[in-house]
Amino acid sequence: MTKETSNPDQWLKDHGDYLYRYAMSKLHDEEQAADMVQETLLAAWRGWDKFAGNSSVKTWLVGILKHKIIDHIRKEIRDRKLTEAVESDPTSLLFNADGSWVNAPRSWKENPEDLCGSDQFQKVLYECVGKLPEKQQIVFTMREVIGEDSDTICKEADITSTHLHVLIHRARLALRTCLEFNWFGGSRQS
Amino acid sequence: MNHFCKEASRLQSDGFERTLTVSERLRLRLHLLICGACRNYASNIKLLHQLFHTIQSQKESAEHVVLPENSRTRIQDSLKDRSSPES
Repeated sequence: MTKETSNPDQWLKDHGDYLYRYAMSKLHDEEQAADMVQETLLAAWRGWDKFAGNSSVKTWLVGILKHKIIDHIRKEIRDRKLTEAVESDPTSLLFNADGSWVNAPRSWKENPEDLCGSDQFQKVLYECVGKLPEKQQIVFTMREVIGEDSDTICKEADITSTHLHVLIHRARLALRTCLEFNWFGGSRQS
Repeated sequence: MNHFCKEASRLQSDGFERTLTVSERLRLRLHLLICGACRNYASNIKLLHQLFHTIQSQKESAEHVVLPENSRTRIQDSLKDRSSPES
């Protein structure tokens, strides 16, 4: 294997752009993404003796960055002080007592590539995520926006996998409703 | 009559998170045969799932996106600060 350098300036030169893109793909904010890259390189340098050499420096740096991003997102969501009281169960609003839909979901005739090409759409999408109650927002973001695996999320959030699935399910229901309303033509004929 | 939509929505979401049991899969499949609304829900949340993945992979491979020069300078400086005596 190639000899890895312990020089952080070289890491910045070699991997800075990639780390930045990686952070941007999860955070969507230039300032925050650059901060995460900085924190990652500093942490990596401090912990260089822990680098086992089993993986490349790049993989190791991305691993550190991922943790930094998760910590950052969790803190940011907490700081917004969304109340647990809003941790309502949307199913009671979306389904009738007999288990049928209050408003039947419609068909969305769009493909992901086209939608993602629209900055306007992405803005609406992340606004919808931002409206989720705290717990749902944290676990949904970790799961879908960051792509973390379930075991890690359960450990981090100190919840069971069943609870995780309930939170993600509620988040999906709420997000779907939010998108239908704000993007896919929400005006409903009653 | 009791509708299965509420339970079906839960099973559909769980389908992304775990392997459904045979009986869950069967009940869900039978329901989707007769329920257009739940078929729409299925394709809606599938799209939702794909969206985040598409956005991430698009941004990760967007070669034209580079660390802005001012940020790079700032990071270089912070690394230099660290290299003074204490380390």
